[in-house]
Amino acid sequence: MNIRYIILAAILVISGIGLFFIPITESSNEIEPDQLMAELFDQTRYVSTDEIAERIINQDPSLLLIDVRMADYYSEFSLPGAANIPLEEILNPDWIGYFEQDHMDLVFYSTGDIFAEQAWMLASRMGYKHLYIMKGGLNRWFETIIKPVKPEVTASQLEFELYAFRKGANQYFTGGGLADSDDSVLEPVKVNRKKKNAVVEGGC
Amino acid sequence: MGPLIPQGIIGAEWSHVIAILLGMAFGFVLESSGFSSTRKLAGVFYGYDFVVLKVFFTAAITAMIGLIYFNYLGWIDINLIFVNPTFLYSSIFGGIIMGFGFIMGGYCPGTSFCGVAIGKIDAIVFTGGLFIGILIFSESYPLINVFYNEGDLGVIKIYDTLGVSLPVFIFGVIISALVIFYAVGIIEKRVKKVEY
Repeated sequence: MNIRYIILAAILVISGIGLFFIPITESSNEIEPDQLMAELFDQTRYVSTDEIAERIINQDPSLLLIDVRMADYYSEFSLPGAANIPLEEILNPDWIGYFEQDHMDLVFYSTGDIFAEQAWMLASRMGYKHLYIMKGGLNRWFETIIKPVKPEVTASQLEFELYAFRKGANQYFTGGGLADSDDSVLEPVKVNRKKKNAVVEGGC
Repeated sequence: MGPLIPQGIIGAEWSHVIAILLGMAFGFVLESSGFSSTRKLAGVFYGYDFVVLKVFFTAAITAMIGLIYFNYLGWIDINLIFVNPTFLYSSIFGGIIMGFGFIMGGYCPGTSFCGVAIGKIDAIVFTGGLFIGILIFSESYPLINVFYNEGDLGVIKIYDTLGVSLPVFIFGVIISALVIFYAVGIIEKRVKKVEY
């Protein structure tokens, strides 16, 4: 037999034996603790109720609200255009169409923050992008949009502008006027169309 | 360090350029090793030429050993390498179709393009059939997509399925490859030579 073949075969066998002596990092899909920590403290995943209200009013096509509460709560009250994916069912492959896309911002909300946070955690663990949480959930929605509190007289101009926006939003969402007749001057609702959050990918 | 593109060391725009260069090199090596001859490729099935088997087995072993050592030396992160997910039924069915096509036409898709490059008429007919097949598959996709996507086992690795450790598996493949190379050498000597 050709001596070259024997040498080549010996090289293969020796390098094969060598594999037993080197550590092999097995593939694991686990996220590293420090990365998880960084993601947990990242505040950019929160959007405020005011921003959501504004985007609903502007009929922002890149907004997809996801109600993670139970179905009967959802049928009682939900934000306009929101889809209902109860937290327990979030891993159900039926919902994959909502998650597997990259042109919409998915905003989770629940009554408070906790369920939405859990949904966000699960979805981002599954590798989906553009996930957000409506900070404070529906509780905060009621406090800010449905029953906005008039700021103190000494409050800054900015707060008054926010209040004016909230009153306008209130009218949009509840259909009725906010009962505060003492507010003689009706300020115009200032709705700024914000730039979309979605990053344009590719192209020139 | 590697893989270079997922790590952002080379921009993703370059992936097609690199693919073309690698493809040209691959085609050149295939052609110069005589892989553009259907008789050589079909030799595996008739037992007079086992070069195809030897080449692809060697490539698999070299890649396996290389990846593990490169990973150990920190030249490549093995966890970032794309692993094709396994679709059990479509793999089996596709394998059968591929096998029939291989033995009937004498080419696999890659070598058929080598044959086209040097102007072989049978290779041109073969690639024509290949495009017709692609057309039929694409047009009938709505009918077959259930079967096509069934049996999704996700990203699984054969040594996990067999329940052995990675070094044991690779060592087993190396030994069996050497045994097979030796055995096919004996078969080649016994079978009547075919001139081509």
